[in-house]
Amino acid sequence: MDVRLQISMVFHLDKCIGCHTCSIACKNVWTDRKGAEYMWWNNVETKPGTGYPTAWEDQSKYKGGWEQKNGRPELRMGRKSSRLINLFHNPHLPKLDDYYEPWTYRYEDLFDSPEGADQPTARPISMITGKPIDIEAGPNWDDDLGGSPVYAANDPNLEGFDEQQREELFDVQRLVFFYLPRICNHCLNPACVAACPSGAIYKRGEDGIVLINQERCRAWRMCVTACPYKKTYYNWSTGKSEKCILCFPRLETGQAPACFHSCVGRIRYLGALLYDADRLLEALNVADEKLVEAHRELILDPFDPHVQAEALKNGIDDQAIEAAQRSPVYKYVKEWRLALPLHPEFRTLPMLFYVPPLLPVMARAEQGLYDTSDKELFAPIDRARVPMEYLARLFAGSNVDPVRYSLKKQYAVRLFKRMDTVGDIDRALVKRALQEVETSEDEAEQIFRLTSLPTMTERFVIPPSHREEALAMLTEDLWEEKGGAGLGFREPPTRGA
Amino acid sequence: MKGISMMSMRSGFIWSVIGLCVGLLIPIEARGQAPSPGATLFEKRCYSCHNIGSGDKKGPDLKGVTLRRSRDWLHEYIKSPAAMNRRGDPEARALFEKFAPEVMPDQDITDEQIDAILALIDELTRKNESFVPAGAKLSRPVTPADIDLGRQLFVGRRSLSNGGPACISCHTVSGVGRLGGGTLGPDLTAVNVKYRDPELIAILQNPNFPAMKAVFGTRPLTDEEIVQLFAYLQNVKPAHPTTQALAGVARIEPWFVTIGFVALLGAIVGFNLAWKNRLRGVREQLVRRSTS
Repeated sequence: MDVRLQISMVFHLDKCIGCHTCSIACKNVWTDRKGAEYMWWNNVETKPGTGYPTAWEDQSKYKGGWEQKNGRPELRMGRKSSRLINLFHNPHLPKLDDYYEPWTYRYEDLFDSPEGADQPTARPISMITGKPIDIEAGPNWDDDLGGSPVYAANDPNLEGFDEQQREELFDVQRLVFFYLPRICNHCLNPACVAACPSGAIYKRGEDGIVLINQERCRAWRMCVTACPYKKTYYNWSTGKSEKCILCFPRLETGQAPACFHSCVGRIRYLGALLYDADRLLEALNVADEKLVEAHRELILDPFDPHVQAEALKNGIDDQAIEAAQRSPVYKYVKEWRLALPLHPEFRTLPMLFYVPPLLPVMARAEQGLYDTSDKELFAPIDRARVPMEYLARLFAGSNVDPVRYSLKKQYAVRLFKRMDTVGDIDRALVKRALQEVETSEDEAEQIFRLTSLPTMTERFVIPPSHREEALAMLTEDLWEEKGGAGLGFREPPTRGA
Repeated sequence: MKGISMMSMRSGFIWSVIGLCVGLLIPIEARGQAPSPGATLFEKRCYSCHNIGSGDKKGPDLKGVTLRRSRDWLHEYIKSPAAMNRRGDPEARALFEKFAPEVMPDQDITDEQIDAILALIDELTRKNESFVPAGAKLSRPVTPADIDLGRQLFVGRRSLSNGGPACISCHTVSGVGRLGGGTLGPDLTAVNVKYRDPELIAILQNPNFPAMKAVFGTRPLTDEEIVQLFAYLQNVKPAHPTTQALAGVARIEPWFVTIGFVALLGAIVGFNLAWKNRLRGVREQLVRRSTS
């Protein structure tokens, strides 16, 4: 057993209101720079939709992630030899247009325009060319199903849906959508790290954050192709690739990352997970449908004395183990089995988990009444407007079972709380519901509390980073690093070697 | 007395014959070994491009130039022709136009040296003689074997002993290699028609053209190499008889352009095939497909 620690995340999609505050917080802190205009390390997508970059989930085009070949995972973009041949021309890069051409507005037009019969408008200006442009796409062009006939209709997750199912999905009366905020997943088996010819990308040993060394990056852009989530971006100004750094300078000083901190719906949870690195390959070598379960199996119980002893042997200190015990992520992913990884079939073992949304149910109009009631206990879940298969494609490698379990459990908790607070539901019915998902009233109450009423310290359980221990390996003069975070840029990134 | 006088007469005759011979020989030797400083300079610095009295070469024949132009003008022009042309001097401009595309390079030369050269031109003009280079002679007669040895030197199969680059790096002649030689310098086919023998030998000895001087100034050809290269250049047969009129002008063969064009097309097609599955943009295609 090789116990490692990973800072992990849970996004509760049922709570996301799609306000993009996270994206703005991230943009303001990290990517408001020349060359980074088009980057959104954090973006919020509307589903069904094609997302950002357009149709990123379609790996037949983008060639991201891993695939099962000869009993072992191999990068979909090709072996080392083919990557070497294509070193100077990576043939699977998205175009800028697939992200979008970033723009701003010429605000002075509002003040400087000559007097006329019409109100002046601020013209959109490309941030690449500086010339006026017609805006054709943006980082969330699907927002609230805008442009659906073009974009949402081409959602790669709808592959395999027949004509009737698609029609039902986009029928005006039953139209539905939900939001999907995305950041780097800080995967356990990161394809970007595996693809980098310069060895510039690494996964930090102490907390599992995946970073790109700006001094070693040589702009081959293999990571851009390899990442199936398209979460590494090429900076055309510095000539280096960049990605979400999980705000490690904030984490090291005990603060939540900017997007977590600013989240209006408080949908984001962050905490430590312990996992067994020895069993990684084992967890990857299973069929798509079993990936969610295999992924969960990797996560170790921080209360198990054996695990604790092994963790201590690997340099994970008591404080970190204690933080892993309080981790909200551990509860959502392992204990309650509510949260699921996004597209586990890419086989990168993403460490950002999503609680699938309980979507509005399909109602009937009977005798002028809009009726959503039902005789059957969990019928609403199967009659939700977004088919279960769609969510299964997103979160479970097309296996419906983990998704149904998560939704049923959420629904059972709702029934329980309704009985508790409103009192119009029979306790026997609630008991049956809880039994079906193998949970107790006690656990339902805990799920309710962490979902609806969590405090800041319950949402973000950040283990002390003990930078001094990592730094002691690198420098003798710890005094100079006192109060600092990260290893620091000694100089800004520059083009070339 | 008589005997003595006879003796003295005879010995006097012998001595006078010896003296005469020595007297005659010394100037001949001296003339052969050390021509006037002006002539040496002219041969080294000017003769690659100029004649005195034997017609225009790359530059004009300089016979009578001291009568045509003022001394000051000549001094200024020799030092920096291009500067004079830029300044808009009408005579300089006329020369530049006549001999284009050749441009006389600036000369690193003192006023005294210029005066010596002008004195030589003056003298030859007055005597109505042509300049004959004293040193422009081969060290030995040419033999048929030299032609092939010269060819080996030209194409670089044997390297030049003082470390100079092979002629083919910058020059071509007809029938050398499938793609010909370099095109930086002129085509040397029929160079023996363009230059008379002493001129060609002088150039091989002292190539005073800007590009060649930079390379061969410190790595001159040996006498033996000059003989061999001279023999080779004499024997290069032009591929087309008409090229004689264009001797010395580097030409681009039509088949060469065709090969280049076909190769470029082939490369484009090849790259397109090799990367035919490359990502050509997702969003544009998606929008086009959905809206059509």
